[in-house]
Amino acid sequence: MPSTLEKIRVLGENSKYDICASTASSRTDKYPKLFGDTNSWIGNTASAGICHSYTPDGRCMSLFKTLYTNKCIYNCKYCFTHSCKRKMSFTPEEYARTFMKLYSMNVVEGVFISSAVCGSADKTTEEMLEAIRLLRFKYNFQGYVHFKCLPGVSQYLLKEAISLSDRISINTEASSKDYLAEIADQKDFNNDIITRQRWLKQIRLKHNDEALKVMKDFKQDNTLEYQGKMIKERREDGYKKFRWDGAPILNSGQTTQFVVGAAESESDYDLLKRIDWGYREIDLRRAYFSSFIPIEGTPLAGKQAASLAREHRLYQTDWLLRIYHYKLKDLEEIFNEEGNLPKGDPKMHLASEYFKDRNLVDPNQASYRELLLVPGIGPISAKRIINLRAKKFVFKRRQDLKSVGVVLKRAEPYLLINGHNQTTLNKYFDIISDNVSQREIV
Amino acid sequence: MRKLIEEKDPMEVVGCARGHSCEELIHNLPRHCKFYPALIQHINKIPEVILRNSGTPIAKKVNRMMREISKESYRAMQFTRTEINNRGVLFGIVSLKHKVMDRVLNYFHKRWPECIICLYNEHTHKTSTIDEKGIIHKIDSPLKTVVEKASKNRPLIPYFDDIQFSGKEIFETLYSSQFISERENQKYFKKMIPEKCYELPGMRSGIEKRFRNKKINDYF
Ligand code: SF4
Repeated sequence: MPSTLEKIRVLGENSKYDICASTASSRTDKYPKLFGDTNSWIGNTASAGICHSYTPDGRCMSLFKTLYTNKCIYNCKYCFTHSCKRKMSFTPEEYARTFMKLYSMNVVEGVFISSAVCGSADKTTEEMLEAIRLLRFKYNFQGYVHFKCLPGVSQYLLKEAISLSDRISINTEASSKDYLAEIADQKDFNNDIITRQRWLKQIRLKHNDEALKVMKDFKQDNTLEYQGKMIKERREDGYKKFRWDGAPILNSGQTTQFVVGAAESESDYDLLKRIDWGYREIDLRRAYFSSFIPIEGTPLAGKQAASLAREHRLYQTDWLLRIYHYKLKDLEEIFNEEGNLPKGDPKMHLASEYFKDRNLVDPNQASYRELLLVPGIGPISAKRIINLRAKKFVFKRRQDLKSVGVVLKRAEPYLLINGHNQTTLNKYFDIISDNVSQREIV
Repeated sequence: MRKLIEEKDPMEVVGCARGHSCEELIHNLPRHCKFYPALIQHINKIPEVILRNSGTPIAKKVNRMMREISKESYRAMQFTRTEINNRGVLFGIVSLKHKVMDRVLNYFHKRWPECIICLYNEHTHKTSTIDEKGIIHKIDSPLKTVVEKASKNRPLIPYFDDIQFSGKEIFETLYSSQFISERENQKYFKKMIPEKCYELPGMRSGIEKRFRNKKINDYF
């Protein structure tokens, strides 16, 4: 029987390619807490997002991230299961206790629970849920929980998982059925993954609509008596009813993760198309990319690792879709023939394409969308410019733009300041060529 | 400076989009260890837009001070390592130059609302506590005495009793397990945990230091 330390070593190592961040916590005290607003709870998501440590690759380590078990019925080609001889599982109590210890040491902010599929998706999920239930109701932990759903899990378990977690994710791994079949042929792309992602959206929306109604009633009768009655009613049905019906669930939404570069010929465009679909269809909050790294003893051991620069460019382009709200078709012109992104910052490429045959941008006249096209101007500085213009302010100097947060080094070639362009585009082509400061991504 | 105030239309000092408001400055600057009261009088005379413009010398100065204050409290929240006893008393050591103990205590209080939090400040040699009601006390005794006193009349709490084992090794094992050697990036690592963080009480014997100072193979 392996010790808890041994389990953390092996199961932690097995989960190291999973990406997560507690900075995604729902930082709001606006709503009543998911599990009621009493002092006996421990933990807080409203002020989460603090990184308590960083690994030597610079990634923040703020969650207790291990697999629940590494025994798996699948054999995805890129996965450690082929080579890892030591198979083990936590027990729910052991998992919850270990996490609480770490939380009391102020070294983690929350939980990221993931697992291999031991026996069946439902059986493993049941056990994972038991660990989270213990955390929520024995140890009273109210902080951040990211629950990784297993492919093919039943809907009733998804419902339970949603009601206990702040964030849920199902790894898509590849952008389409064919690519997934190439690297994990036992998984059914549409049924095991896409359908589950759609369920997550439906369950969340339905609950939150009802929660809104409860909140309305609550606001109308916001008395202690009413509050007491609600809590008592919930207690009668055990912990399940102890939860506030009025609290929105899954505040940090659903996310997904892709293995980049494992499937032959899967392009950046394929991946971004899937993500774009996710933002539109399943309320995807964000996507994570994990560069493929060959593991000794797996069928893909001989394959070349994917470059970290590629991963970085995907994050940059995803940022344009997610934060700038660009449409994927706006970005199409920067992909090469194979559908991959060129080296360098995608926004710089986009700007050099866009401004080839267009006038430069005058910050005193440009629309919000035009401003956003200029490298070095993001949504915040663009909004500041528009706000100041509304107050009749005229941008005449470089300094004016700098003080609202514009990165002049990048922006200048595309701007007309006081009627003049400060420099030539050519001077900046070296910026485009490759100034990727790798890895400063997640 | 006076010339600037008189001649410029405040809207032309575009820094109004950034920096801190006058109230924020007045409220927070006294936390700085090098604060002097005349600074507030000075700030009161200057329009906010100038204070917000990162280009003016006074703004540079107050922004630096504000940055130092918030950095110190944030680092303390990140890197203070605590313990909890089975009576629900959470305790640890901090090293705070500026007056940000209340912020740090409140951070822990939000996470452990039913516990008493005791933090010993190495810099002032004083222990500060925050109780369940959020009331802060400053005590002139060493941490151990304060924790003992605070625990005295409190009942044993089973779920805290459950976690009375050493967690140091657990964290070290978890930390080592997360490292992907193919992605090692010492430069980024050093940026995220700068040298001076290793001087904080919680980090002095932290595992991060071993990874920073040695190659991973040496470590194993
Ligand atoms: S489902 Fe696939 S990727 Fe996940 S643990 Fe099992 S084999 Fe590995």
